[in-house]
Amino acid sequence: MSQAWLPLVTLATSLLVVPLIFALPERAWGARTVLNLGAALLKVLLVALMVWGLYQGESFHFSFTVVQGVTFLLQVDALGLMFAGLSSLLWLATTVYAIGYLEDSPNRKRFFGFFSLCVASTVGIALAGNLFTFLLFYELLTLSTYPLVVHRGHTKALDAGTTYLRYTLTGGLMLLLGVVALHVMVGDVTFGEREMLADLGPDAHGLLTVLFLILLVGLGVKAALVPLHGWLPRAMVAPAPVSALLHAVAVVKAGAFGIVRLVYDVYGISLTYELGLLTLLAVIATITILYGSIRALAQQELKPRLAYSTISQVSYIVLGISLFGPFGTVAGLVHLMHQGLMKVTLFYCAGNYAEELGIHRIDELNGAGRRMPLTSIAFTVGALGMIGLPPVAGFISKWYLGMGAVQANMPWVIAVLVVSSLLNAAYFLPILYRLWFRPGPAHGVGEWPDERRLGRFETSGWLLWPAVATAVFSVMVGLLAGVPFSPLDLATFVTAEEYLP
Amino acid sequence: MMATLLLVLALLWPLLLMLRTLLWLAMEQGGLKRPGRRPVLLDGWWVSSPIPALLLALWPGEALLVMEGWLLGARWQLEDVRRPWLLFSAMLWTLAGLYARGYLVSEQQAAESGDVDAFRRLLGFALLWPLTLAGNLLLLLAEDIPSFYMGFAVMTFAAYGLVVHAGHRDAHLGGRAYLIMAVLGEGMILGGLLWSAGTVQVLTLTELRAGIATAEQGAWMSALLWLGFGVKAGVIGLHVWLPLAHPVAPTPASAVLSGVMVKAGLIGWISTLPLGAEGIEPLGRVVIVLGLTGALAAALYGVIQRHPKAVLAYSSVSQLGMIATLFGVGMVAPPLWPALLTVITLFAVHHGLTKGALFLGVGISEHPPRMPAWLLWLLLVLPALSLAGAMTSGLATKWSFKALLYDAGHEALVTWLSVAAVGTTLLMCRALWRQWCERGTYRIPWYAPMPLAWLGCIAAAVSVPLWMPLVGETPLWPPLTEWLGLLWPAMLGLGLAGLVLLASRWVTREWRAARRLLPGDLWWWYARLATKLLNVVHGAGDAWERRAVRLRERLLEWEARFTAAISELTRFELYFRRLAVPLMVAVAVLLLLGFWLGQMQG
Repeated sequence: MSQAWLPLVTLATSLLVVPLIFALPERAWGARTVLNLGAALLKVLLVALMVWGLYQGESFHFSFTVVQGVTFLLQVDALGLMFAGLSSLLWLATTVYAIGYLEDSPNRKRFFGFFSLCVASTVGIALAGNLFTFLLFYELLTLSTYPLVVHRGHTKALDAGTTYLRYTLTGGLMLLLGVVALHVMVGDVTFGEREMLADLGPDAHGLLTVLFLILLVGLGVKAALVPLHGWLPRAMVAPAPVSALLHAVAVVKAGAFGIVRLVYDVYGISLTYELGLLTLLAVIATITILYGSIRALAQQELKPRLAYSTISQVSYIVLGISLFGPFGTVAGLVHLMHQGLMKVTLFYCAGNYAEELGIHRIDELNGAGRRMPLTSIAFTVGALGMIGLPPVAGFISKWYLGMGAVQANMPWVIAVLVVSSLLNAAYFLPILYRLWFRPGPAHGVGEWPDERRLGRFETSGWLLWPAVATAVFSVMVGLLAGVPFSPLDLATFVTAEEYLP
Repeated sequence: MMATLLLVLALLWPLLLMLRTLLWLAMEQGGLKRPGRRPVLLDGWWVSSPIPALLLALWPGEALLVMEGWLLGARWQLEDVRRPWLLFSAMLWTLAGLYARGYLVSEQQAAESGDVDAFRRLLGFALLWPLTLAGNLLLLLAEDIPSFYMGFAVMTFAAYGLVVHAGHRDAHLGGRAYLIMAVLGEGMILGGLLWSAGTVQVLTLTELRAGIATAEQGAWMSALLWLGFGVKAGVIGLHVWLPLAHPVAPTPASAVLSGVMVKAGLIGWISTLPLGAEGIEPLGRVVIVLGLTGALAAALYGVIQRHPKAVLAYSSVSQLGMIATLFGVGMVAPPLWPALLTVITLFAVHHGLTKGALFLGVGISEHPPRMPAWLLWLLLVLPALSLAGAMTSGLATKWSFKALLYDAGHEALVTWLSVAAVGTTLLMCRALWRQWCERGTYRIPWYAPMPLAWLGCIAAAVSVPLWMPLVGETPLWPPLTEWLGLLWPAMLGLGLAGLVLLASRWVTREWRAARRLLPGDLWWWYARLATKLLNVVHGAGDAWERRAVRLRERLLEWEARFTAAISELTRFELYFRRLAVPLMVAVAVLLLLGFWLGQMQG
């Protein structure tokens, strides 16, 4: 049975909200909040419906021909649904957070309008059924994120925005080049039809390798692979909910997701393996992981440290993909979800510290655990997960990466994992130490940089509960990794589809 | 069925008690800022946290719990090999918890009367103590690798809060040494587990051991795991956190740290190394050498320490070195392993409880209970003599491994271990001497929690061979003819200590060099080396950064030049405009020409 309307409606929930938000006046806080939350909830529901349908064996398709030979295709497969699920879930949390965060700042209408557009493009990327549709939404994402990055409007933000555009538009151009070239070779590239390129035979291998590299550069800019990562730490000037979304689901994750699609659904894992490109991916991922961690160590401010940590962590996904074998695939896919949950928690917490206490630097965090216990517990959970300690989700990713490394006959990857864990510990544990064990303003030593009392609890409830919720999720998906519908279960489901004919 | 319920309860109970405190805190939200009375944090319920585990250890029959949904599939079980470890761990945790109630009573009173700082510190202790316990119990009961690793990690990281409880500078130094070494250990364990579990594709520890034994790189995997768990088990070179963390931790925390938590390293070895199988003999030889070095060097370095708890920490390193030697023998001679496991279990239980009693005794000599001085010091000396191998459980332990090693033809090893026992005796004399020098005068009633827990611990420690449910039979009590052979190290040690005492009467000048030998020995070298390395890395990083900045600048410059060149293009506009008409005419002519030619063809 084919239900065309479901993916289309899912996309429309966030896309149709955009004109409505722009139509509402700036001060219509209540209506905008209801609209945003309503759409977010509806989308979670629709995605859940599709997950259910997929487990029942249904398929969802929507397509129309744009011009001869080029089709716009939305289709639902397990991989795309994973990404859609992650983005709809985190969109809900981030919407709540953003409402609290932008409580009384100007230009909220513009913000939420582009925010919805950004999420719409992420869902589009998730549900895109062929390369053309993917490219469409990928570029839409670039453009819709720019106003969010420069939202504050000061010189530093504008500079960061320019850098962001410089990197992403160049990347987009490369991607366009690659997509057009593939189009010329085989026509419309539908995801999941892996024989297309494999059937070209060994003569085309040279060209295919070059095209892979071009596409990889195009996607690698967003996925922040070293040395294409320069825009990410600078984009930190954006408001906290934007950084959270940027790092956890939208931009960085879109790049990583694109690489996943490229390897599994365009080239196919066996062809990529044959071309010897998996080793290349593994090496790039290793360099990125280690470089990101080392740079994170040197940062004195909280958000840039988290940014470099993202660079390092997102490459775990690429590393997982590059390990030939089911375990590696599971690791890469499951980390796509886990990293999103943990990193979004960390960014919410960093935002809470900045909003409530005016803290931006790490050495200002002394004793913050006493002033803001729940936020600090959430931060601790996220940080321990990043290090890869059980029971937080990061451990599951690391475990499968290790299994995959041995399966792919690349045991040296385990050494990379261990070194990276040690580095993660080296830059996260000092923060936790300051939070919990150093006396600070809460103990009568010194003063917070800019303390505001935003709510009844340690800070405004709008800011607090999303952080707590994602932290709880991060623990639950690790602790209960074996239950049905957990990220691990979904990833295993996708992998079975990939490796079993 | 009942046993399985108890197993769940044993793990849940400490967490529930922790949750109780947290819930109370949540309900009192904001109340903490007001002055006034606070609740008793370390109450009777809090002390009861290891009781279900104790019951579980005493419950007859095996327990098994399988949960598919937990992590990657949980399998927790209790059988005969784990039972003694669980039993003595739960006992020591209970006694130390009771002791903590008395030890922290002044802090408790300060907290109750409204001292916010004292309350906060006590709160941290009250929350992290059950968490550490839960981690410890999980690692003892877990059969699946992820749960085991989780228990190990939870215990390790939660115990950090116990170490830094006092909050002063030394406590933070000790905590830092503890944490850095622990993280290194965790890293090696993670690497070893991923490598071996990935190679043999299993999730349970039993299958893992079997798999490593046959794996191609099994020896290297074993070496990695041995080193990783060796951080906890105080292997020489990795032991530096012990003498730094023990003196600064609150005394009950030191007791469980040295009594139970370092044993987690031994559990790690037993659970993951392919002991009793061929293939790791070279590792075994290294282990024997390192173990003996640790046993002797720690004793030598420990006797010049001043803080009684530092001396006791070095004694732990020394004793763990002896146990490591026994592990090494098990690796070199696989057939001996089943018998050795029994001996090692006995040794570990004996050391755990005796060392617990000794640590608890340090607090007792600072706050002596109201009892005759001779009785008090006799009771303080008793576990020391036992640890030196001269009495009760120590004698039984020593006899059991000596008999085993003699039968297997390892006489040289027995001699070395006896020399180490001389060192232990010296360490014990030193610890007791320092306790005597620093003895307190304020007396507490003998029925207060502290002395009761201490007495209980001594009773449990000296009677280990009587109640320990060991697998397999070992000759526990030596025949009279062997006594001289067993007792000479203790006597020699006592004699040496006496000589030193006499000598110190004569020589009044202080030996200054000894003051410079700080606890933590190699730690200071490591710290210096790490600082140097970090400086090098920083320098390289800065140089790299400068180069990157230069490159970026050059790129920007090119870009600016390129943009300028594009802007220059407007100059050509004029030419284009002038040429427009001729150009169009030319095109028209060409087109016409084309048409004409085409028609000609047609």
